[in-house]
Amino acid sequence: MPKIFIDGKEIEFKQGQTIIEAAKDAGIDIPHFCWHPSLSVSGNCRICLVEVEKMPKLVIACSTIAAEGMVVYTQSQKTLAARNAVMEFLLINHPLDCPICDEAGECKLQDYAYEHSIGESRFVEEKVKKEKRVPLGPRVMFDGERCISCSRCIRFCDEIAKDPELTFVQRGDRVTITTYPGEVMDNPYSMNVVDICPVGALTNTDFRFKARVWEMSATKSICNGCARGCNIDIWVRNNEILRLTPRHNESVNSYWMCDHGRLNTFKFVNDSSRIDSPHIRKEGQLVKVGWDEAFAEASSRLKSFSKDEIAVIGSAFATCEDNYLVARFAKSVLGTGHLDFIHHNDPSFEDDILRRSDRTPNSLGAKLVGVRPSKNGLDFNSIIKAISERRIKALYLVEDDTIQNDPEIENILAKLDLLVVHSTNYNKTTDIADIVFPASTYAEKNGTFVNFDGMIQRIKPAVSTLEADRALEGMAMSRLDKFGTRWDRWAQGVKFDARPTWRIISGLSSVMGYKFKYNMAEEVFKDIASGITSFNHLDYDIIGEQGFKIKASVLEKEILE
Amino acid sequence: MAEKKRLKDLSIWQKIYIPEIFKGLALTFKNMLKPKFTMEYPEEKFIPPASYRGRPVLVQEENGEERCVACGLCSRVCPALAIEVQAAETEREKERYPERFEINMIRCIFCGFCEEVCPEEAIVMSKDYELAFTNRQEAIYGKDKLLVPVSQLQDRIEFLRNYK
Amino acid sequence: MSLIEILIITLIKILIILTLTLLTVSYLVYFERKISAWAQNRLGPNRVGWEGILQPFADVFKLLLKEDIVPNKANKVIHSLAPMVALFVAFTTYAVIPIGPNVQIFGYDISLVVADINIGILYVLALTSLGVYAITFAGWSSGSKYSLLGGIRSSAQMISYEISMGFSIAGVLLLSESLRPIAIVESQAGWMWNAVVQPIGFITFFVSAFAETNRLPFDLPEAEPELVGGFHTEYSSMKFAGFFLAEYANMIIASALITTLYLGGWQIPYIEKLGLADWLVTVFQVGSFFIKVGMLLFFFIWIRWSIPRFRYDQLMNIGWKVMFPLSLINLVWVAVLIMIFN
Ligand code: SF4
Ligand code: SF4
Ligand code: SF4
Ligand code: SF4
Repeated sequence: MPKIFIDGKEIEFKQGQTIIEAAKDAGIDIPHFCWHPSLSVSGNCRICLVEVEKMPKLVIACSTIAAEGMVVYTQSQKTLAARNAVMEFLLINHPLDCPICDEAGECKLQDYAYEHSIGESRFVEEKVKKEKRVPLGPRVMFDGERCISCSRCIRFCDEIAKDPELTFVQRGDRVTITTYPGEVMDNPYSMNVVDICPVGALTNTDFRFKARVWEMSATKSICNGCARGCNIDIWVRNNEILRLTPRHNESVNSYWMCDHGRLNTFKFVNDSSRIDSPHIRKEGQLVKVGWDEAFAEASSRLKSFSKDEIAVIGSAFATCEDNYLVARFAKSVLGTGHLDFIHHNDPSFEDDILRRSDRTPNSLGAKLVGVRPSKNGLDFNSIIKAISERRIKALYLVEDDTIQNDPEIENILAKLDLLVVHSTNYNKTTDIADIVFPASTYAEKNGTFVNFDGMIQRIKPAVSTLEADRALEGMAMSRLDKFGTRWDRWAQGVKFDARPTWRIISGLSSVMGYKFKYNMAEEVFKDIASGITSFNHLDYDIIGEQGFKIKASVLEKEILE
Repeated sequence: MAEKKRLKDLSIWQKIYIPEIFKGLALTFKNMLKPKFTMEYPEEKFIPPASYRGRPVLVQEENGEERCVACGLCSRVCPALAIEVQAAETEREKERYPERFEINMIRCIFCGFCEEVCPEEAIVMSKDYELAFTNRQEAIYGKDKLLVPVSQLQDRIEFLRNYK
Repeated sequence: MSLIEILIITLIKILIILTLTLLTVSYLVYFERKISAWAQNRLGPNRVGWEGILQPFADVFKLLLKEDIVPNKANKVIHSLAPMVALFVAFTTYAVIPIGPNVQIFGYDISLVVADINIGILYVLALTSLGVYAITFAGWSSGSKYSLLGGIRSSAQMISYEISMGFSIAGVLLLSESLRPIAIVESQAGWMWNAVVQPIGFITFFVSAFAETNRLPFDLPEAEPELVGGFHTEYSSMKFAGFFLAEYANMIIASALITTLYLGGWQIPYIEKLGLADWLVTVFQVGSFFIKVGMLLFFFIWIRWSIPRFRYDQLMNIGWKVMFPLSLINLVWVAVLIMIFN
């Protein structure tokens, strides 16, 4: 491999890499605004100027191809002076907006101003006034004064979203961003520009002014909006999710996520429709009861049916751990083979960027861990048919809303003698359920999802339930979480009395006389890993933050069998 | 090198102790006859100088609006985590304002950091030291109690401009 | 006088002395606060009544209304007994202190002392050594290390200083040749005050009195910085008030004793030469007793707000290595005096 020297360090690089890329791979950070690893090089911000031996002038690291034996200095006198100068130019017309800017705290301009600027302005003239608060599209707001004209947003629309909508207009210090005439920026990936904008020029209309970044904790998790399973960070303050941002994972979602995932997959977590503690239907009404009472009731009523009258429906929204126990519960405890989960396919959602037509995060995982009919068992459609023929009288439904999916089913389900439901929120199915167990959402539990591609990925709790203590569970904690007391209004966030499905199942099983000895989701996963070929030899550490991809050959064999 | 005289090398008179006792007694007796400077509080109030750090308040402009833009810096810098700011959007020029601004006066230690960090000169230490509550909830001051017209805070603002 | 008459007269005397002491005690507290304030250029209590004159009553009401807390590990009986012992000792000592010469009222010849017993001084010594028990009880029964340490310190302190106190008194007794307080007073006629005749004994007794009453600079049993509150750490409400009152009552006793033993008791030198009416002389004499006691009390308080506390080792050093030999020297001095003048 060819080598270059950066700051005296010998570094190997791949042919064709630019200096900035080679440096990045070696863990050396060269300041940059307009360069982005997933976008084309534009080279207009000039902050990445570095000194290269034998070159007459400083060169920009983002577009200079590294060559064998090049000697690069990123901290030399000349480079630092150049950076200072670039910062000074950038700040000439930049407003003193940090106090009202959402980007403050995660702003590149702010960071570099601390690192590379003299800290004082020599500019006494009037700054250029531009338009602030311009909605570029329904989900993105633009502030002309803050823009440093790096063109990242333009390149994103052109190259990633493949939907050119943005462009520069005007020249010199009047230059600004706008949409093409007659266009709005409403592509399904538009909000990624908020993340890549190095300053606060583009803001998320949904999150605008909700919180400062340093008040929130970030938890690494997975989007549950479709089978892609984009890697995300869940940002929480006072036990409430305030925003999701994409997390880099080159083999899944790169730096991006879709607007649907970003906006519509977390609000139910803190919604008022959340189910708090188990409920039993008494005289037509769902009544709040304790866990023990609900378990006892479910146990005695399930036992009154013969094995063939019971069907169990797992969930592609639940984790592998949840589904694994659901499958074992059905087969070992209830002794039924009528076991399946519901597929939520929406071809109109799919595109060739990230979105998949399978709108659930874990249908492959559910299938792999055993949520499928056994030899003589019924699949989902046959179960529904059997219910309408009253051959199946009891249904155990996990984390899914059957009726929402298909309203006709409502009349069919009404024929059931017993409907037990695990659900996070009230929905049409819980409206007719006899026993409702409150399930933790994906943001409240540990577990794994398997995406359409066979990528096993971890989710982690970001929001605490009633039983969970942030510190004891090792959850991400912001400063407010660490120091809040129960008398501080900023630490009194709502906590729901909900449990992850696997815990509900193991609780119910032990009441029914079958003991699962699991205390943590990790222990369930250990069993999965030892029992199911695709998961062999895996544990949470191996999966890590970037996931683990099941070999296609293994996957194929397992699904076919 | 000459021996240094140490404090604990007492003279013989000091060692006998009795004369020293009388010196002390004389001193206290003299003080008994001196004028007193007790301030009889509820009737007679201490009016602090501009440098005094009483409870932090929010500056209210003449038009009734607060200066605060809800940047949350005071909340971040507050060593006692006394301040909670919830921002929201407004139509005003400065886009954001504090929808809720609460200072927990039980937590506050009157350090003045909030005042020092505020980029808008929106939170200043007042001269108000009369703080008493009968329960924890009462001690959380909302915007209603925090907003004080700028005219009443001129003293402090001038002080800050001169010395900050 | 019949027995009944004697009983009634004694009862009346007891009543008068008791009210007097109680009142003085409460106002002593008031003056303590006032004087400390003045010494520190403050005003002191001035809210309840004119210049705070009713403050003592407010204090008492406050203490009465406080919850009485007894620690779990305390020995309940002894815990409540301790303040009673303290009070008992403090008040019964007054019985033998004469506040004036005999007077004629309604034809009765009345001595201005509750119990004119001829071993009065022994009685006083006996009772003050009982006082140690109150403190030891309190310290031990509270079931708290702070109380225990406080209690132990103070017993050690009191026992140590009782010795020099006893030897100082021995000097007085040698001169008066009686254990009867009235006789002692009378033996100091004219300027023959013991304070003048045996100044060293006066000083040792004086200092020991401070130590005995646990007043600054000898208030180690209560040393707040080291022992929280000393032996009464675990006391609250009226039980605490009991100790509090006892401390001040002890101060009064100490002052009265000093007056009796060293400052000529009620006597005013050469007052008989003025040729005043008998009753007027008596009034002056009783007044002089109270003035002497009052000045001593002021001195007690004054000292408290002027001098810092001794360290425990210093306290013991002074007790054994200074006060004790000094009182012995005094004894020798008195013996020499007697040899020369007899
Ligand atoms: S809006 Fe942001 S991303 Fe777009 S050009 Fe301006 S600074 Fe760059
Ligand atoms: S593409 Fe799918 S997984 Fe990714 S953010 Fe959108 S909904 Fe979520
Ligand atoms: S620092 Fe000033 S402007 Fe910012 S939130 Fe606090 S008071 Fe408001
Ligand atoms: S004065 Fe100090 S403690 Fe009080 S609110 Fe301001 S920063 Fe917090």
